[in-house]
Parts: sequence; C-alpha cells; structure tokens
Amino acid sequence: MSELAVHAESVWKIFNEGATNEVTALSDVSIDVRKGEFVSLIGPSGCGKSTLLRVIADLIPATRGTVTVAGVTPQQAREQHRYGMAFQQAALLDWRTVCRNVELPLELAGWDKAKRKARALELLDMVQLHDFADHRPWELSGGMQQRVAIARSLATDPEILLMDEPFGALDEMTRERMQNELLRIAKETGTSVVFVTHSIPEAVYLSNRVVVMSPRPGRITHVVPVDLGDRNEDTRESDGFYDAVTAVREALRGRATPVGEGGARLAETS
Amino acid sequence: MKHRLSLIWPPLLIGALFLLAWQALVVIQDLKPYLLPAPSLIFTTFITNLNLMWATGLYTATTAVLGLIFGTVVGIVFAMVAQRFFVFRNLMIPVAAGIAAVPIVALTPILNNMFDITSRTPRVLITAIVVFFPIFVNVYRGLTEVAPVQMELLRSMSASPRTVLRVLRIPNALPFFFTGLKVAAPLAVIAALVAEYFGGPQEGLGSKIASSAANTAYGRAWAYVVVAIIVGLAFYLVTLMLERWTTPWASRTRSA
Repeated sequence: MSELAVHAESVWKIFNEGATNEVTALSDVSIDVRKGEFVSLIGPSGCGKSTLLRVIADLIPATRGTVTVAGVTPQQAREQHRYGMAFQQAALLDWRTVCRNVELPLELAGWDKAKRKARALELLDMVQLHDFADHRPWELSGGMQQRVAIARSLATDPEILLMDEPFGALDEMTRERMQNELLRIAKETGTSVVFVTHSIPEAVYLSNRVVVMSPRPGRITHVVPVDLGDRNEDTRESDGFYDAVTAVREALRGRATPVGEGGARLAETS
Repeated sequence: MKHRLSLIWPPLLIGALFLLAWQALVVIQDLKPYLLPAPSLIFTTFITNLNLMWATGLYTATTAVLGLIFGTVVGIVFAMVAQRFFVFRNLMIPVAAGIAAVPIVALTPILNNMFDITSRTPRVLITAIVVFFPIFVNVYRGLTEVAPVQMELLRSMSASPRTVLRVLRIPNALPFFFTGLKVAAPLAVIAALVAEYFGGPQEGLGSKIASSAANTAYGRAWAYVVVAIIVGLAFYLVTLMLERWTTPWASRTRSA
C-alpha cells in the first residue's frame, strides 16, 4: 500500500442523489497510481476526469468507495499538504508578487518568512523564473504564469501533483515546452502526477499510463500503458509515440478491448 | 509629461470657454445678480472672502469626513457579517436597501430633535446613512465574488475560512471598496451640506448658501457653491489617489 501514491477503489460520485436532477459523474472507478508514476486521465467532456481529480484532492467527497492518497485519507492528505494542485487557470493572486504567490502554500503550512522566501526562490529557479520574483503576475505571459502556478504547487514538496488541464489555455509551442519542463521537474523531485487533459499527444508524451474515460456515466474504459523511455524532442516523432497515440485514439472511440471489472488496477496493466 | 498635458488641456479649454460665454451672456443681456451673477463677481467674492471660504469649506468637509468614516466602517462590518454568516445574509440585504431608501431630507429634522441640534452629531449621522449603502453593496460583492478556481486552490491548501478572508476575500474586495468609495465620497459632501439646511450651527456651506441667498448676497452664495464643488472634487481625488496607491493591480489587465 505504501508504494501507491493514489489508490481508489470502486469510487462513485453521484450529484444530487435521489433528486430528479441526479447525475452519476463517476461509476465504479478504480485506479492505482504508483509512486513516481505519471498517469493521465483523458476523455470527452463530462466523462468525470476532473471529478475524479477533485475527489482525490478532497475538494468534493466521494459518494461511495474508498480513496487513499499518500497512504492516508484525501482529507488528511489535503490537511498535511501531501499533494500540490494546478488548474487550467494559473489562479495567481494579482495583489501578490510572483515570489509571494509561490510562498502562499508555505505561508498556510506555517513556515517562517525567511525559510519560505528561500524555498520560493529555489522553486522559481527550477521553473526558470528567478528574475521575475518581484514582478506582478499580470506582467507575465500565460506560459510564465502557469510556470509560477506549477512552482507554487510544488512548494511544500508534495509527493503527488494533481493537475487539471494545466496547459489547456496555452499555445502549442509553449505547451510542448511546458510538457518537457514538467517531465524534468517530476523526475527531479520524484513526484507522482495525476494529469487531466483533453489532448491525446499530450497524454501520451507525458504519461506512463493513459487512463481513458467515457461519459454517462463517467467510468474508466481503457488503460493504455505507454513505454517510450526518457522523452526528448525526437520522441514526438517516433513510431512508438504514434502507435501509442493511435491506441489512445482507438480507445476513446471505444474500438480497443476494454478493461475488465477491476478498472485501472495494476493487476491488469503491469 | 507631454502626454499628461495633452490630457489636461481639453477640459481646461472647455471650462474657460464656458466661463467666457457665461460672462458674455451676463454682460450683454445685463442680467441682474439674483438671476445669474457673472463669473467675475463670483470670483472676486471668492478671493476677497478667502479666509471665510476656507473656514466654511473646512467645517462642512469635517462633517463629511466624519460621516464618511463612520458610514464606511459600518458598511464594511455589515458586509463582512453578511458574507460570513449565512443567516444574516438574507436579513441584511433588505435592511441595507431600506437604509438606502431613507429620505435624508425628512430624516434630518427628526435627528436634529433626537440629538443635540447645536452639535455636529445629526449631520454626521445623515452623512453616514448616505455613505453606508454604496460601501456595503460593493464590499459585499468584493468579498463574495471570488474566482471559484481560487477558492478551490485555497481549499487544496486547506486554508481556514479566516485565512481565506485574509488571503483572498479582503484583497479581492479592495477594488470593489474603492468603486463604492468613489461614489460615496462626493455623496458625503452633498449629504453634509444638505443636512446643514435644517438648522443647527451656522458655520457650514449649506447654512451659508441659504443665508447668503436670503440676504440677496448672490455673489457670495455662488462663491460657496464653488467651494462645495471644490470640496467634492477634493474628496473624489483623494479617493482616486488612495485607490491607485493601494490597489495598483486593479487598473491592469487581470491575470487568468
């Protein structure tokens, strides 16, 4: 169990249960994410991928089923700052400098001023924004803002990174650069990542496993393992990359063989 | 600097042309001061009574400032209570709307009776009532209309409601607060001035305008009106400066 960053078993999320506008967002979803693993959740809108991420993050409770994050309940994981989170919007606070935005999670975790400033500068170094520490968020481009958001999500040195389409609003060039940067950071820090995306190439390029979901009701239909070794710019043009992209695309169309009862449990995939 | 100058001269030119036309109208048509005094008369009255103008303006401005502070504090406290405690929300919004609908002209004589008419208190209260509503409404909006993604972010960092208030809601409300204050500040001057029409100490602009007009000193009445305009503008400009200084992010394009 301690080898797992995230463990979810038979998770259901039903909004407005019992009411006429009842919506089953997650139906019997099981997924394991190993330590240091990069797992993407992909699927059409309404397939529950963001809902699953929010259940893991304890932003919303699961209706049924068990979820463990870093070996504890999602609520404990949240309260102990065991995971970091990034969203499609950078969600930086305009009234704080870039540096103080990165310090925010440390401030809430009760770090003292000098320590958190040193840590924030170290993180800004990692995302190559050291020179912008005293700038205001609005002075930065979208890609730079997102890098600040990633630095912020890594501030407490969490074991797990939960990302909800963090590069969704960026242009293609910036996006690919950010993907490389994220992989480098994840490798450097040994962080496990659960990554929600709409983009098939993005999911394939980043992940060890791509979890394919489908809507009405939201469930996991396929798990596509991706074994491309260390990524570099050539990876994007390799045959293995195209094969994996095709496999995910087929899975999204529902043409590949679906996973069995156990969902995305390790037994089926490794 | 050149850029600034080019922003300033058009309104100045329009103003000068307007005064010139006014002066010409009065001279050519030979209008009597009780109909419309010439700008030159108003100006000379203003200059020769500069000390009196200053003292009178200061008196009303002091009332307005006290009412502005009082009304602002109450408005902010109400907004924070309404945001924090759900039960109060549905109670306070109608109460605030009710306060906004209070006719100050009718209320002033009543307050003058309730409190010592020789004191400043009734006037400060009137001003505070007028100030309260724009502050309450705007601060409440600023405290509640926070980006959902920022709320999720703070929850993911397990921030307490109090931390959310300090880190997110209050800074978020600051630009809204200044929007309210920019409305409330000139209103405070008008309210303080109107409250002076209903008896009490005679030092203020409202009393002086009324008594000058009654004594057929039209030039002086108009000079006091000019003072009232200057005080109102000064209030607005001070608010504007405070806003620029404390919320520099609000005037820029907001980040995603």
